[in-house]
Amino acid sequence: MKRLNGLSMTAMVVLLALIVSACSGNGGSSSTNNGGATNSANGANTSGKAIKITLLNSKGEIQVQLEEAAKTFHEDNPDITLEIMAAPAGTSPFERASTLYASGNPPTMMMLDTGDVEKFKDRILDLSEEKWNADAVENATNLTTFDGKNYGFPLAIEGYGFIYNKAVLDEAVGGSFDPATIKTRDDLENLFKQIEATGKKALIISPMDWSLGAHFQPLAYAGQNKDMAEVNKFMDSLKAGTEDLSGNTVLNGLLDTFDMMKQYNIDKKSPLAGVYERGPEVLGKGEVGIWFQGNWAWPQIHDFDTANGAYGFLPVPISNNPDDYGNQEISSAVSKRIIIDKEKSTPEQQEAAKKFLNWIVYEENGQDFLVNQASIIPAFKNITIPAADPLGQSIQDYIARGKSQESMSTLPADHWAKVGASMQKYLNDSGDRATLIKEIEEYWTSVK
Amino acid sequence: MIKEKEWWPRLRTRLLFTGPTLFAFLTVMIVPFIYGIYLTFTNWDGIATTHTLVGFENYGKVFQDEVFWKSFGLTLKYVLFTVILVNAVAFLLAFGLTRGLKGQNIFRAGFFIPNLVGGIVLGLIWQFIFSNVLVFIGEKAGIPLFSTSWLADPQKAFWALIIVTIWQYAGYMMVIYIAGLMSVPNDILEAASIDGANGWKKLRTMTLPLMVPSFIVCIFLTLQRGFMVYDVNLSLTKGGPFKSTEMVSMHVYEKAFLSRDYGLGQAEALVLFLLVAVITLLQVYFGKKMEVEA
Repeated sequence: MKRLNGLSMTAMVVLLALIVSACSGNGGSSSTNNGGATNSANGANTSGKAIKITLLNSKGEIQVQLEEAAKTFHEDNPDITLEIMAAPAGTSPFERASTLYASGNPPTMMMLDTGDVEKFKDRILDLSEEKWNADAVENATNLTTFDGKNYGFPLAIEGYGFIYNKAVLDEAVGGSFDPATIKTRDDLENLFKQIEATGKKALIISPMDWSLGAHFQPLAYAGQNKDMAEVNKFMDSLKAGTEDLSGNTVLNGLLDTFDMMKQYNIDKKSPLAGVYERGPEVLGKGEVGIWFQGNWAWPQIHDFDTANGAYGFLPVPISNNPDDYGNQEISSAVSKRIIIDKEKSTPEQQEAAKKFLNWIVYEENGQDFLVNQASIIPAFKNITIPAADPLGQSIQDYIARGKSQESMSTLPADHWAKVGASMQKYLNDSGDRATLIKEIEEYWTSVK
Repeated sequence: MIKEKEWWPRLRTRLLFTGPTLFAFLTVMIVPFIYGIYLTFTNWDGIATTHTLVGFENYGKVFQDEVFWKSFGLTLKYVLFTVILVNAVAFLLAFGLTRGLKGQNIFRAGFFIPNLVGGIVLGLIWQFIFSNVLVFIGEKAGIPLFSTSWLADPQKAFWALIIVTIWQYAGYMMVIYIAGLMSVPNDILEAASIDGANGWKKLRTMTLPLMVPSFIVCIFLTLQRGFMVYDVNLSLTKGGPFKSTEMVSMHVYEKAFLSRDYGLGQAEALVLFLLVAVITLLQVYFGKKMEVEA
């Protein structure tokens, strides 16, 4: 083989250099925001037009509505293009957000769970100066405020409990069902019996780890005391390993209710086989009267609705004393927070992102998206549009009557997966109560 | 041949051809690998802008993490069954499809296709089969084995994983075995027939020893893929029910990204890497010793 001549040699070297610089240009520069879209949009940022921002959505059920909202937002603000990225179902938004940060292209905005915000606080924008802080509902930003600065935009109030299909329950009680009549575990069991007497099944327990580990079991923490400070003390002693859970009345009461629920579960034969999608189907079609889930499930229930939209919530009773805390209260809290990245986003992008948040709170189109399209219960006082769906209305009603219990929203990130697995074991009767309680205690003493 | 005396022109020519690949290899394999090793000595949580060095603390924790070793044990069990079954099924398929069967090319293509479907999609398809189709059939036909979802039972979910893995890889290994079977020279087989050897004897004493290279490749591939399984695990069982089918890769991922213990997760990944490297190297070393010449 002959030696390469000078020209082709130079050409190869230049080619190589181009490849190298194309690769490194991405990671080093601070203006790139999105690895998938390192195109002309980025280059144009500085010129003040055609700003491109991205939002990582972790509420899978409103993905379509968000994409529509992004279009509307673009029509209202022609110079800003908003792209919605979906976090895959079943992964926590934290996982997705931290991998995006690790790869150096975080989205401009990220929708996180409340407890995750603190971890990101060095990388995200201080939103304390935004106008909407003053209009947010009471205590909405407490949990995202660190050193007096608020970092999170409260997107939604979410609540959960037993969703009932009123058509089924009306038939069961032989008249119009009144949710206020269910105040104790015995009341609930009686209701289950009445439903079964009509030939239907009483309820469905969806066995997803997140449902059991992030929603059902934490009712035992939140129900410890009306005073959140006392609950926090309880959590601290759990972590320190000084709390004896096996003698805890609230946890045992909740598990007694769970034992009772297991007896009436439509999937009793194979309790872990169910998937989320089965819940709205059997509830909506009226095959069962009750499903343990939250108001976010409305879009799916709506698809199967046979009760003319008549649904509502019942609290999960933990004892037979109607006055015990939690027996008449619905668990709810501000749950999703939007944060704005300051590391890789340009000032223009940050401004555009702030504009989007304001658009949601103050513009007619934004409010319409939030309440009517996405069925979200807003965390802002100035939004007066009533909740569009029966589940949201039910939660709002409980909150308005002061019958709400603050959900646990700052549990450690792997709580749902680990405690959820322990709850699944208990649901499947593969482990007894002592095992479950031991696993919960072990989880808390080992948590980082 | 290039016969350069000076080192620079020689290096230059070499770099010209190996440079781009070398560069890619360095940046996407070696640098992250070394950085990863560095991270095992820190307490980084995966997101914080700062982290502190903690020495060998993470490695100590790896050996205390019972769940890690439990899922490693489960992975070993999974690898054992998949390596044996995938290779047995693949060899039988290859053997059957080199007999001159009518339409054997169509069969070959058919068995190979599952390998072209990504693990995630494949897991979702089988999830539907196990929890809907089979349950439906089981209920209608009154077969108790199928009347509840396999994925809801720890033991059956484990076997569901193995079945899907066999279905995924048997076709791929089959192709390698077919190539091996076809390369066994016909003349020695004929000579054996003349000497009165029957089909079984020919297979055992002539074909199998000559196919050792194919077995080495296939066993290596199935071993390595078995240890690294993540996608099928994720989409078929998600480690459930209650973490009973969580393979070691999934555990490492969850440690790093879900429990936010990146340093420990990274240390576990490194320990896993070393264990798998030792096992596969041993396999290749002993496999090579069994090779024979025709």
